[in-house]
Amino acid sequence: MDEGMELQLSLDKLPIKRLDSIEENGIERFPPDVDYDEKRTSLIRRIDFAWAIEKDEEKKKQKKSSKEPATPWQWQGMVENLQLAHQELSVIIDLINTVEANDAVTVASMTKPKSLPNEALSDLAVCAATKLQCYRKVGKYFKQSAKAFEQQVAREARFYGALIRLQQNWKVKRQRQTSIVPGNEGFTFDLFDNSYDQGAIIRSSLMSTVRVNHDAAGMLAINVSPELCHSLQFGFVGAQPDDMQKKSNENKSHLPDEDSSDETGIESSRDEECVKKTHSLLRDVHKAIFNEQVFDLLNREAFSASTGFTLTGIRENYLQLSLGQGTSVYLSLASSGQDHPTVEGELTNNADNAVSPLESSDILMHDAQQNTLKKKGQNSNSTCYEIYIQQIYHEHIFGRGSEKPISSGNRLSGAQANDGSSLLGHFSMSLSHRIFSSKILAELENVVFKVPYLQLISNPTWYSRGSSWTLFMEVPPSILRGCQIKASENATKRQFWTKVVVIDDCINVKAEGSPNVSGLFKGKSVDTHSINQYDCNLADLPVIILQQVASQIINWLYHEALMVGIKANRDFLCLSFELEQGETLALVANVDPEDNDGCISWSLVMEDSFAEVQKLHTNNTDDASEYRKFLGPLSLDLLYATLIDLISFVSGGGGCQ
Amino acid sequence: MNKGGPGGGGPTAAAAASVAQKQKTLLQKVEGDIANIVDNFSYIVNVARVNDPPVRNSQEAFMMETRAARMVQAADSLLKLVSDLKQTAIFSGFASLNDHVEQRRIAFNQLAEKTDHTLSMIGEKAAASLKELESNYSSSAQKTIQEIQP
Repeated sequence: MDEGMELQLSLDKLPIKRLDSIEENGIERFPPDVDYDEKRTSLIRRIDFAWAIEKDEEKKKQKKSSKEPATPWQWQGMVENLQLAHQELSVIIDLINTVEANDAVTVASMTKPKSLPNEALSDLAVCAATKLQCYRKVGKYFKQSAKAFEQQVAREARFYGALIRLQQNWKVKRQRQTSIVPGNEGFTFDLFDNSYDQGAIIRSSLMSTVRVNHDAAGMLAINVSPELCHSLQFGFVGAQPDDMQKKSNENKSHLPDEDSSDETGIESSRDEECVKKTHSLLRDVHKAIFNEQVFDLLNREAFSASTGFTLTGIRENYLQLSLGQGTSVYLSLASSGQDHPTVEGELTNNADNAVSPLESSDILMHDAQQNTLKKKGQNSNSTCYEIYIQQIYHEHIFGRGSEKPISSGNRLSGAQANDGSSLLGHFSMSLSHRIFSSKILAELENVVFKVPYLQLISNPTWYSRGSSWTLFMEVPPSILRGCQIKASENATKRQFWTKVVVIDDCINVKAEGSPNVSGLFKGKSVDTHSINQYDCNLADLPVIILQQVASQIINWLYHEALMVGIKANRDFLCLSFELEQGETLALVANVDPEDNDGCISWSLVMEDSFAEVQKLHTNNTDDASEYRKFLGPLSLDLLYATLIDLISFVSGGGGCQ
Repeated sequence: MNKGGPGGGGPTAAAAASVAQKQKTLLQKVEGDIANIVDNFSYIVNVARVNDPPVRNSQEAFMMETRAARMVQAADSLLKLVSDLKQTAIFSGFASLNDHVEQRRIAFNQLAEKTDHTLSMIGEKAAASLKELESNYSSSAQKTIQEIQP
C-alpha cells in the first residue's frame, strides 16, 4: 500500500447476542438471527471498493487537469493501464485471501467476463504472432539443416568423386567397422602387389596399406610420412658426392601451393590438384615398396658366395659390396633428402689410367678433365645401374609385358647356386663386364689414336654382358685398278677389319688373316681371306691388334705385288722379295704399343746367305747397319709407294743401290 | 534398381535371397523415412490454426519443434542410406571395375610397348650418331696427324 494512503480501521462487534431491549414484564428481546446468506452478503459488502473508485476519479481529474503538457510520454498510457490492472489484481488477491481465511465466504463460481471485442482480437493477434514466431523458428531450423545437408552432400560428392578417380588406378578396400569415427568410413588403399615375395610382406606392410582420411575441408586426404618413401641408390664408393645431391633432389615430391583465394571459383581445380597430389603420393609409396623389395632381395642374395660380389659393409638399409679389382659399390635405401655417407678407406675404381684421346694439347689439364669425365661417367653410370637393377628385378617378378615372369612364386632362396639365374649374380657380371669393357675401350682408343690409318667403330650389342668393336683400316686404291681382271675386281680389298668381341671377361679377336690365293679369283671376299679368331687377355690386346693390323697390311702389300706380277714371299710380319744374287729384300713390320709415334714401324732388311750366318754369331741390332734400314712409322700411301719402289727395284734388275 | 550387392542374383540361391532381403529392407526404410517426413510436415501445416486458449498454442509450438527435429532426422537417415548405396555401387560393382581394370591394363601395355619402341629407336639413333661421330673423328684425327707428319 502506498505511503500516502490513509489507514482506516474498522472494528467489528463481537458476534455475541446483545440484548436489544427488555420489556416491563421481563421478556428480553434480541435482534433477529441473521440469515447465513445475509451474513455472507454483509461481509462481502464490507469490502470497501470506494477507495479504488475514488482513486479512479481522482486520476481522471488529474488527467484532465494535466493535459496541458504538450508531449506526453508515449508509454504513459500503458503505464497507467498496467497500474490499474495492478490495483485490480491486488483487490482480487485480497478477496481471495479473505475468502481463504474465512470459511464464511467461499467461491461459488468463476466466470470470465465477456471480453470486449478488441480484447478478443488482441488475444488472437498475440496468439497468431506467437505462432508465427514459432513457424519462423522452425523455418530457420529447416534452412539451417538444409544447408548443412547440402554441404554434407557436396563434401561427400567431392570425396567420393576423388575416391572413384583414384580407384581407377589403385586398389581400394573398405573395412566395415562397428565403431567408425564419423568421417572415416574405413577406406584404405592397398598398395602391395601379390607378385612380390610373400616373405617380404612383413617389411612393407607398414607402408602398403594407406588409410583414407578426411582433411579439414572434408576432402579426401592421405597421410604418408615422407621418411617412409625410400628410393634405391646405387653408387661407386669414392665417387663425387655432387651428383648424389642432384639425385636426391629429384626424388623430392613437390607439394602444390596452397591457394587461399576465392573457393567457389576454383573448387574443381583444387579437387583436381588434390587428386593429382594424392595420386603422386600413392605412386611414391608404391615405388618405395618396389625399391624396398629390390633391396630386400639383393640383401638376401648378397650373403650368397656365388654372386660374384663380396659383402664388405652392412648397415640398416645400406649394403657395401666389393667386386674385386679395387671396385666397391654400395646399395642403399635412402629417404628423400637423406644420403648415406660411404665407408672411408676403399679404393676407387682404377678402370681408366690411360690418356684419353680427346685432345692432345695440354697433358695436365687433360688428365684433370679426364678424371672428372671418368667420375662423371661413373656417376651417370651409377644411375644407369640403378635403373638396370630395377629393370631386371621388374622383369624377374612381373615379366615383360604380356609374357610370364622369368621366375614365379617364392623362388629366390639360397638354393639357387647358379650365378646366371640369381639377380645379383647377373648384375655383378654385367657390372664387371662394363668396367672391363671400358678398360678395353681405353686400350683400343689408345691404339687407334696412335695409328692414324686405323678407325674404331663401336658396335652396340644391347646386351649388358657383351660388347663389340671393329677396328677398320682403309687402304689406298691400287694403281693398277683399271687393269684388273674382272673376276678379281671384287677381290680387291680396300678395307680390312679386325673385330674385338667381349663377352663377360673373355676377349675374342676376329680378323681377316692371310688371303687365300685361290679365292682371289672367286670374287667373294669371304673366300678371299681366311678369318683368324682367337682369345686373348687385356694386357696382350694392343699387341695382338697391332700385329693383326700389320699382318693385314703385309697381306695387302703382298696382294698388290702379286697383282703387278712380282713374286713375293710373305711371312707373318714380313714381305720379302728375292733378288738375283740370292739376296732377299724384305719389308718388316715392328709393333710396339708403347711407341707414341705410331705403333707400327717399318724396316727394310737386306739379307743374303752370308748375312744370315753372321746374324747367328753376333747380336747385331744396330738399326743403322747396312743390312737394315729403319723407316719408321709410315702411312699407307707411303707404304704403297715404298712397295712400288721396291717392286721397280726388284724388277729393274735387283742391282746394288 | 540394382542395389549392387554381390553380383545381383549371384550363383547361389542364398546370395540371391539375401540380396532380395536387403533390397526389401532398404525399400522399407526409405518408405518409413518418407512417411515420417510427410506426416510431420502435414502436422506442422495443420497446426497453423490459431486457437483461443493460449495453452494449446504453446503445446503446439513444442510439438512443432519436436516434429521438425524428427523430419530432419528422417532426412539425415535418407541421406545416409543414399551414400551407403553409392558406396556399395562404387566399390562392389565388380563387373564395371573389372572392365575398367582390363582397359587400363591394355592401355598400360600399349604404353609399355610404345616406350620400348621409343627406347629402341633412341638406341638406334644413338648408335647411328655414334657411328657418325666416330667416322668424323677418324677423318679429322687423320688430317691432324697427317699435317703434323711431313
